[in-house]
Amino acid sequence: MAKKSGSSFGNFSELKKFQTKGVQPIRTEFSKGSVPDSIYSSNREAAWSRWRRGYEIYSNSTVGEVYSYPFNYRVPLPPGTVLPPGVNPPQIPGIFQGFPTNNKEFGMHWSGVRVAGSLRFDNLRGAGGIPAAIKSVTEDENYWYISLEGGWNAQNPLPPPLFIPPVIIGGKEIIPKQYPINGEILEDRVITVGGDVITSDTIDPTTQKRYGYLQAVLVSTDEINGVLTLQKQGSVESTPDAVFRTPAVDDFHVGRYLITGTRYCCSCQDFTRRDYSYMMNLGKGNQKVFPRTRPAVIKPGRKEIMTLNGKVNNNAMTSATVNRGMEVIAPSPEYDIPPTVTPNSSIDSKALRDNPGVFRDFGKTYTRNTPLPSLQGGVAEGPPNYEDYSTKQNPDGSYTLESLGDFWTPLLDELRYCKHIYAMKFMEKVFPPEPSDYPVETGSITQWEKNLVDKQNKDNEEAAYKLSRQGLSRMDVPPYNCQAPMMMPMMQKLFNVPSTFVLMSGFTMYDKNGKPYDPAKNEFPGT
Amino acid sequence: MADFNEIVDGTFVLSEEQIAIRKYGFSPIKASGTPTVYHPGDVVNLPYTTGEISTIEAIGLAWNAFASGITPE
Repeated sequence: MAKKSGSSFGNFSELKKFQTKGVQPIRTEFSKGSVPDSIYSSNREAAWSRWRRGYEIYSNSTVGEVYSYPFNYRVPLPPGTVLPPGVNPPQIPGIFQGFPTNNKEFGMHWSGVRVAGSLRFDNLRGAGGIPAAIKSVTEDENYWYISLEGGWNAQNPLPPPLFIPPVIIGGKEIIPKQYPINGEILEDRVITVGGDVITSDTIDPTTQKRYGYLQAVLVSTDEINGVLTLQKQGSVESTPDAVFRTPAVDDFHVGRYLITGTRYCCSCQDFTRRDYSYMMNLGKGNQKVFPRTRPAVIKPGRKEIMTLNGKVNNNAMTSATVNRGMEVIAPSPEYDIPPTVTPNSSIDSKALRDNPGVFRDFGKTYTRNTPLPSLQGGVAEGPPNYEDYSTKQNPDGSYTLESLGDFWTPLLDELRYCKHIYAMKFMEKVFPPEPSDYPVETGSITQWEKNLVDKQNKDNEEAAYKLSRQGLSRMDVPPYNCQAPMMMPMMQKLFNVPSTFVLMSGFTMYDKNGKPYDPAKNEFPGT
Repeated sequence: MADFNEIVDGTFVLSEEQIAIRKYGFSPIKASGTPTVYHPGDVVNLPYTTGEISTIEAIGLAWNAFASGITPE
């Protein structure tokens, strides 16, 4: 047997590298091109790569300035609701975080965090004013069934926002039942009514052990029996040893109160699954015809349009007193939040993804792979699939749209993470579980990782240089940019409410000294 | 007990040693002083008292009104 060079693990650098010599990259409207090599695409699109690059972004962001804009959003109330003076207003705190990038006109991707605990179940009361604590927990292979205190029944169903009763006029159901909270992460982190929210380090004074808690996605709500169904797949447990474990093996704790978990959204192309149109990326010849659409990118799909007084308004920045409308145009209700939720939305069977001058295309969508035989509706992490849309030919020769690859499959909070969100999770010390779709390469895997990290660091460095040269104006940052066409859909997802609930006047921002200022009242951060 | 509206748990506070040794990859960028660090927060603490409208109630009211065609403001 020939002696191996290197250590007992062999020598990675001497592996023969597969060379696609002479093969040119395939360039498309969405992709800058890759060699026709599915392994290359699989590696590049792997969730693991996002996770690893997210760690680099996190590490780099601890060196320089963090472009953070903490906010408190005051929830709008129905007209006529008067709060007594001096009381605490209903509000949702969070942070906008900017990540410098080369790949965007203004040099910045904006991510949003809605911190955990905004919605607390100890504020929900059932019959006789009983707070909605966890009464009992049953489980099967795939789900937890959590019964809430409060004596819920058909006359006294679970209250909004868990369940919104249907609107019935003249015996006809005009607006169906709605369950706005389905799809949120829920965590059992409140021990007593009005008490502090426990963290993974909080110690139970009676036992001198850490409390520990669980987080899982709410998949369905039984308003009559007061039962919430939470999904075991993707659940996370903080154990009494302060270790995060997924999926959770413990049960939700009886007697505690649920809260909503941290929710993340991002405006980057990866998260929104869209490619932006750039004036700056066009050559001189094309700039005069900007915006334009190539016939090749006119594909069926959904898009949002920002309007002000009924007219399209794509301005990137607005005054903090303007509220634009968001119109959703989709080929069928399935690809849209229902018109009951976004009143300006419309269904147009010929709707396209293209919004000239704003978005170019969704591109192909990276989805999880194979359906899990063990769990109906679940899919395993694995090599990626690519979806776009499928059609079938009718007998008369025309085509009917059968499916759109417009959705990523749900995981913990029903949204898939981009590298910026992974970076924020690292910052939060919630070390996100390592995705299992580890890239494979014909050459050295360690070399591949090193290249990925080097590239990410170089990108970060270049973006930071570029940003320091261009600078950010006062109007380039939240909330002034929050009504830009690429930001508003993100804001709606972040708060998980219709866009008509996202009013600019509700934002109180905090400056670098932690001092609040209200942009709608023409107040500015301290310098 | 945290006060109303406090975001509990600062997540990363750099130690003196971390501040001293930080560098931007192999780039010549030099950093000095303590960086302005806001953290994404861990958990917000919102105990509402009697007579106040909590966030979960407010969101419910907004949805409920909206289903009947009234936009919250």
